[in-house]
Amino acid sequence: MSSRFTTDRRPIRASLVAVGALLALVSLSAATVVNAQQQFSKRYPGGKNVRVELRNISGTIVVESWNKNEIRLSATIESKDAHVVPKQINDCLMVDVMGDNRGRGDIGDINFKLQVPANSSVDVETRRGNINVANIRSGLVRAYVSSEGDITLTNISATHVVAQNVIGDIFFDGEFSSGGTYEFKSTKGNITIRIPGDSAFRLVAASPTKQIQLNDFWNSGFKTQDGRKYVGDVGDGRSSVSVTNFSGSITFMRK
Amino acid sequence: MNCEQCQELIHDLIDGHISQRDEFTLNTHLKQCLDCDGVRQDLASIVNFCQMHRGEYAAPPNEQALWLRIRNVVEAENGRRIAAAQKASGRPSFLSRWMNHSWQLSLPQLAASTAAIVLVVSLATVVGIRRWGGNEVPVTPAYTSNVNDRVFQRTQAINYWNQRVEMNKARWSPQMRETFDRNMRVIDEAVANSLNDLNRNPHDEVSEQMLNESLNDKLALLKEFSDL
Repeated sequence: MSSRFTTDRRPIRASLVAVGALLALVSLSAATVVNAQQQFSKRYPGGKNVRVELRNISGTIVVESWNKNEIRLSATIESKDAHVVPKQINDCLMVDVMGDNRGRGDIGDINFKLQVPANSSVDVETRRGNINVANIRSGLVRAYVSSEGDITLTNISATHVVAQNVIGDIFFDGEFSSGGTYEFKSTKGNITIRIPGDSAFRLVAASPTKQIQLNDFWNSGFKTQDGRKYVGDVGDGRSSVSVTNFSGSITFMRK
Repeated sequence: MNCEQCQELIHDLIDGHISQRDEFTLNTHLKQCLDCDGVRQDLASIVNFCQMHRGEYAAPPNEQALWLRIRNVVEAENGRRIAAAQKASGRPSFLSRWMNHSWQLSLPQLAASTAAIVLVVSLATVVGIRRWGGNEVPVTPAYTSNVNDRVFQRTQAINYWNQRVEMNKARWSPQMRETFDRNMRVIDEAVANSLNDLNRNPHDEVSEQMLNESLNDKLALLKEFSDL
């Protein structure tokens, strides 16, 4: 019996050893990857009118509000040659990756995460990569991708909003403030705007592919040119909205 | 004679207007007084120098007076010639008077005259083309020339930035190069589509707007990537 038991346990032990070795190898690899990347995290005091400006080259940018009166900047830096030198002047935090790394060649991706007070003005851009901004209620939200990357603006209530890319989708979920200006532009991607049903704005929307869907916001006062361009007021037209898409759809949705 | 009286007489002496009696008294004082004799010598040197170099120094230039004198001489000469011609042929004609008139204009007058001539010729040309030459002269439609001009101007700028991008492109990572090329293709496609639409319908506002914006986007993409 005992010899049979002994004979039966050998393969189990071998399997355990193999799994253990595999786990160790995976852990080691992960550790190596973590070591290759640099982590950066720093907090900055924030006043009443906080403004963050971020100029990235390649990588994602995430901006979200939190209930602290300070800014937290975190970054995952792919290359050890890359420099990130944030500068704070009064209530403005500026990160200029482009300027800080001029002449250094390819510095890989740098992924940023910014946690800011909800009333912060946000001006972020990258040559390549996605941008997400959430829960901001301020004067400005600008998200600019020079080439390709999705832009997602969630729960935004700002007086001026700009979202622009070449390839990639743009999603806006928020409110249009009275007297505000809102500009959304993509060359190849879908633009979706989700706003409350009682929103009032003057709209200029153009898409040569005729994929403009105003849905609940359409009214007979709109002037159209072959369905490629719509110009008209929704409500009393208190804010100004411009949407341009070269080869994708423009869709308005009611919250 | 004291020194004061002596120095007053020195001027008369040098000018040669002194009486014999005064000259004698003065010479007597000068032999006794070295100061007064020094004054006499200095004054005599100055007067001699001036007499020797009379007419050699330049008078303060007065161009206006000079030109006035020259003009007077020329006008007097012309007047004599015209008077002689009138005597010979009786009453002068309007043409001969006009031709013989002295047309001398100041610089502002000349500029104003030139401007007036240019204005008149331009107006005459425009009116002439509109009135008589409308059918013969093929006029390019404004919108077409505007679009072409705009495309041409942008193309110049685009070429410049494109060269800068090409210079730096080798430094980029393969992923960045692919990204740039892919995005440039998308924008070029948008430009080409807008141009095609405009060729089909030159009055199309939407196509014109799209062309403008796509050219702007192309320029912006090039500028952004030229820094990398």
